[in-house]
Amino acid sequence: MPTDAPMIACEEAVARVYEYLDGELDAEWSERVRYHVEVCRKCYPYFNFERIFLDHVRSQHIAPEHSDRLERRIREALRNEDAASA
Amino acid sequence: MTEDRHKKAQFETEALVHLDALFGLALRLTGGDAARSEDLVQDAILKAYRAWDDFRLGTNCRAWLMTILRNTFINEFRSQQRRPSAVEFDEVADRSVFAEVAEEDPAGGFFERLIDDEVIAAIDDLPEEFRIPVVLSDLEGLSYQEVSEIMGIPVGTVKSRLFRARKRLQAKLHSFAREMGYVS
Ligand SMILES: [Zn+2]
Repeated sequence: MPTDAPMIACEEAVARVYEYLDGELDAEWSERVRYHVEVCRKCYPYFNFERIFLDHVRSQHIAPEHSDRLERRIREALRNEDAASA
Repeated sequence: MTEDRHKKAQFETEALVHLDALFGLALRLTGGDAARSEDLVQDAILKAYRAWDDFRLGTNCRAWLMTILRNTFINEFRSQQRRPSAVEFDEVADRSVFAEVAEEDPAGGFFERLIDDEVIAAIDDLPEEFRIPVVLSDLEGLSYQEVSEIMGIPVGTVKSRLFRARKRLQAKLHSFAREMGYVS
């Protein structure tokens, strides 16, 4: 992005914080926000905080959970299904 | 008959191995409701079993099952959405956790001190219309467009729900951290 591009206002950057961090902005807006945050002393710490928060949430993954009871129940349901269609 | 046996055996090797993964996803979508999750997994598995002949081997079975489970859950959720929910009028989104911690912990160090169980509990605790976008977007890594299609809501609504869901989550995690003495 040419450095002579118009600087966006703080509110414009802040309004897009999640879209920016989620990678949902188009290339032009993404670059505008990136440039603003890089040079803005007010927005930089805020974006940093939101990024750390999101990284932390996203580092939770959906863990597989085992349940014997569920497995028995599913196998029985499949047997019933076969019996019904036989 | 032998064909049926073959089908069942194939289904067991290809599909039932993903039971734990399906149950894990169901638990997060339902906010930790084990009984509801079991029903959901059973519904999804039976749908998959009935459609098994149409399923092309070689396509990703796990992803296919996850999609069936997600769709089953969302259809149920949507059919229950007759009245406007109370969360449309909440005020939590106005609270800025960042403003509260900016002096003491601007880099959000307290997030990292929280254990995974506390984060999962806070996600489980979100109202359903907020929890679903968080699970789909942040835990499953889907795009706004994908979440919009799955939930049948406009992309703009996905954005605003995610925004408010995350603000609620932040407030909740901040309260946890405070109770634990990670932040004052
Ligand atoms: Zn700024």
